[in-house]
Amino acid sequence: MFFLKEEIKVITLHPSYFGPNMREYLINRLNEEEEGRCTGDHFVICVMDMVDIGEGRVLPGSGQAEYTIKYRAIIWKPFRGETVDAIVTSVKPTGIFTLAGPLSVFIARKNIPSDIKWEPNTVPPQYTDHADQVIEKGTSLRLKILGVKPDVAAINAIGTIKEDYLGPL
Amino acid sequence: MLLRLPPSLHYPITVTSLLKQPGDAVERDEALFWYVYQTTVTEGDGLGNKIEVKRKFPTKFESTVDGEVVQWKIAKGDVIDEPVDVLEVDEPCAHEVQFGGLCAECGKDMTESSYNTEVADVMRAPIQMAHDNTALTVSAREATRVEEDAKRRLLSNRKLSLVVDLDQTIIHATVDPTVGEWMQDKENPNYQALSDVRAFQLVDDGPGMRGCWYYVKLRPGLESFLQNVSEMFELHIYTMGTRAYAQHIASIIDPDRSLFGDRILSRDESGSLTAKNLHRLFPVDTKMVVIIDDRGDVWRWSPNLIKVSPYDFFVGIGDINSSFLPKKQELGPPSKPGEKPAPKPTKGALEEHHVNGATAKTDEQSEVSTLEQLVTMGGGDNPRLLQEQSDAQEETIMHQVEDRPLLQKQRELDAEDDAAESSDTSSSMDDSQDLSKHRHHLLEDNDRELFDLEVRLEQVHRDFFDEYDRRRSRALGGRVAALRGEKVPSKEKDVDLKLVPDVKDIMPHIKRRILGGVVLVFSGVLPLGTDTQNADISLWAKSFGVVIASKINVRTTHLVAGRNRTAKVREATRYPKIKIVTTQWLLDCLIQWKRLAEEPYLLPVHPDDRGEPISPGSKELAESSWLSSSDDATGDSLADDEEATEDILKSAGMDQMSPIGYDEEQQAAVHEELKEFLGSDDESESDSDVSMVDEMGASKKRKREDGDGSGDEETDSAGEEGDVPGSRLAQRIKRSYERSTGLKEMASAGTEASTAASTTPDEPDEASALQGPAESSPVDPAEVDPAEEDDELEREMLAAFEDGDYNSEAEEQIANENG
Repeated sequence: MFFLKEEIKVITLHPSYFGPNMREYLINRLNEEEEGRCTGDHFVICVMDMVDIGEGRVLPGSGQAEYTIKYRAIIWKPFRGETVDAIVTSVKPTGIFTLAGPLSVFIARKNIPSDIKWEPNTVPPQYTDHADQVIEKGTSLRLKILGVKPDVAAINAIGTIKEDYLGPL
Repeated sequence: MLLRLPPSLHYPITVTSLLKQPGDAVERDEALFWYVYQTTVTEGDGLGNKIEVKRKFPTKFESTVDGEVVQWKIAKGDVIDEPVDVLEVDEPCAHEVQFGGLCAECGKDMTESSYNTEVADVMRAPIQMAHDNTALTVSAREATRVEEDAKRRLLSNRKLSLVVDLDQTIIHATVDPTVGEWMQDKENPNYQALSDVRAFQLVDDGPGMRGCWYYVKLRPGLESFLQNVSEMFELHIYTMGTRAYAQHIASIIDPDRSLFGDRILSRDESGSLTAKNLHRLFPVDTKMVVIIDDRGDVWRWSPNLIKVSPYDFFVGIGDINSSFLPKKQELGPPSKPGEKPAPKPTKGALEEHHVNGATAKTDEQSEVSTLEQLVTMGGGDNPRLLQEQSDAQEETIMHQVEDRPLLQKQRELDAEDDAAESSDTSSSMDDSQDLSKHRHHLLEDNDRELFDLEVRLEQVHRDFFDEYDRRRSRALGGRVAALRGEKVPSKEKDVDLKLVPDVKDIMPHIKRRILGGVVLVFSGVLPLGTDTQNADISLWAKSFGVVIASKINVRTTHLVAGRNRTAKVREATRYPKIKIVTTQWLLDCLIQWKRLAEEPYLLPVHPDDRGEPISPGSKELAESSWLSSSDDATGDSLADDEEATEDILKSAGMDQMSPIGYDEEQQAAVHEELKEFLGSDDESESDSDVSMVDEMGASKKRKREDGDGSGDEETDSAGEEGDVPGSRLAQRIKRSYERSTGLKEMASAGTEASTAASTTPDEPDEASALQGPAESSPVDPAEVDPAEEDDELEREMLAAFEDGDYNSEAEEQIANENG
């Protein structure tokens, strides 16, 4: 699910950047470091705007300035039970690996409808029901997230397509 | 699943009541039954006395799993003395497939644990099965099921699995930017050979290697090889390169992914940086798997392995991804099959320059010099300390990018060519690296290994399915007789996994026949102190049925000699039955899977060696091979020194490839560098070093060495001021090469002087110039005392280095002068 979240980030700035373009520089730094980051809990999709850059404080000893920036960002936190669209990255006899944006989702064979079967002899290998449903590398799938597990800088999830209205798009 | 009591309970216990009935749902940590246990505790009686009393304590036993109770194995009132099964629980999910710590089937977190956890849930699925993903693990049962499916499919397609290594097996890759330049340059002699080299850029390759270009040469015949082999085998890639590297290579050799699919395993997923393990890909059984690789040791000489000769197209580069692997044990690199059996008179290697180079020599060791030495210099030689290996990998790459070993080689080659043209005596005198003299380009494109390999794979495939068919027809016949009238399930008729023969039996069976009955003794092949039974070549040979012996006796059938005129060669001549062959015979047999006729490989035994004691002089000549005919006393004594050092190094267990130990090839390299160095000196200041050497002898060596060392360091630092401060390896290699020069220099100088004197009487100028102090040379300054001369020399050297590098013209001249 997507949220607009207000967050705080502390940026230290080298004295050589003190000057008229300091604000742009801070914004760039923030965008570079935050956008696309995975905290293990959620993904930061996009930094919307700065609420408050605050006043810089020169650190004693080093001469660097420390800014505490308040900003708003769109974040995505995947939830159990959420339905997402994903792209297949590889298919294996044990299941299907997909990517839903930044999130890697694995669909075990048990969570694939039983009429869609593993077919290793085609190139590339695929899951198919020998009718109109073919799942191979690059296919778009709609899946439901069954479980989410945060890792240090990534989130792993497992999904299912064994329900109504799920499966290849 | 059966719940079992843990051994940690306070036995005996008495069950007092069961809390769940069959059909009830239980959750983890929910109480299943009450029991009491008895123990002794210390209690106070309220008056300050402590007494020990026996007490009974009621406790409840909690479930470790979720599920539905199926059946109790115990009853109320039971007294239990030891761990037993108590309850059968039907689990809704056995968590057999897990992804990143989650059960892939039910979505539960597998890493949760509590005081009650006996076996972590993650351990239920310990096997990594996917080629390209380490987050996915499966249980042994799931793995077996998947693998059996795969085997059924393969059997019905009459295929086996083939695990293919990339580097030096089917391709050869380098990062030397020289290749890119040569590919652009139509004039370059190597242009032809490089025409099908492919290039790609790896960006995400870690710090320091941003955007490095890789040049990839496919082994000749690769495309048809893969096409043909893919009809008999399902192909997998298993490489020690990174994932990105493997993907790029795969898209080069298999653009539409019809051969390999995504069955690619790289070192990112391998789980080990030092060894390859078949169980990573085939966790359950490896009956139907064949491996092709150029390294046997990383597979621990698995019986599934077909070792191929390493593909070494970019001379001297080696395997760019081998930094993490244990060091390669070097033996003579196998020759290209096309040119092997015929003796090559013109192709003089280091060992053959003794006596007079004009005489045609047989092919005894012609291949052993430049290639191997370059492998050593280029990629193979890295510090192997674990924590340094990653750096080493980076350094290897940087080293290659900066130092451009190929360019260096080609330059040397050109210089030699020029030398050969301008001076007809040079061919006999040039004691350095004229291995490639008859070639005018460095890179050769004549490898035939894949064609042989295809035949061998066909043979394995044929034998496997012959055996399978035989077993199946036997089994079917028997079953039909026994179960007449009963219907055999159709699936079973197709394939029967129990009847599948094992490649591990079939391949050794084929291989053992080839060299069965051969009893080998090595002589001059392995460095002293190596375990002859466990060296790479021994293990390889043994897999072909060879018996390796250390002493020659009546049972010995072959003596494999790396050098001529060793003690063992002499001993072997006493047994007429023993065939004395070169290492090449053994290598060719192992590579071609054929027992080749020994005749083309017979070592020409020196007549002196036949049963007679040998004169020390002749021995000298034979063994210090590059030393030309020298009856000069200085030369001889120096040669002795030389040999002594060699022996010391070897006996000290120093490795051929370690930076401080030298083998002959490296000596040659040193020698070559030194010659250039001396040459430059010769040019500027005539012949002071040569004369000094002859004059001063051993006492001077130390000083010279010091002088060299300091000079080098200065140049090093001067040369690298602008460079990235990295490339420690390069520096070290350079330095270690230079440091040793004292001794060699003496020897070579002596040799040159003497050979010049003996073989070029028609060039009195040069001869006299080289001959040293006796004839005072025109440019030689007046007599100086040794110390002064030494200092002067040092200054000269510094000056020479600081002047900037000698240009190629100067090099040519030097080459001419030195012959």
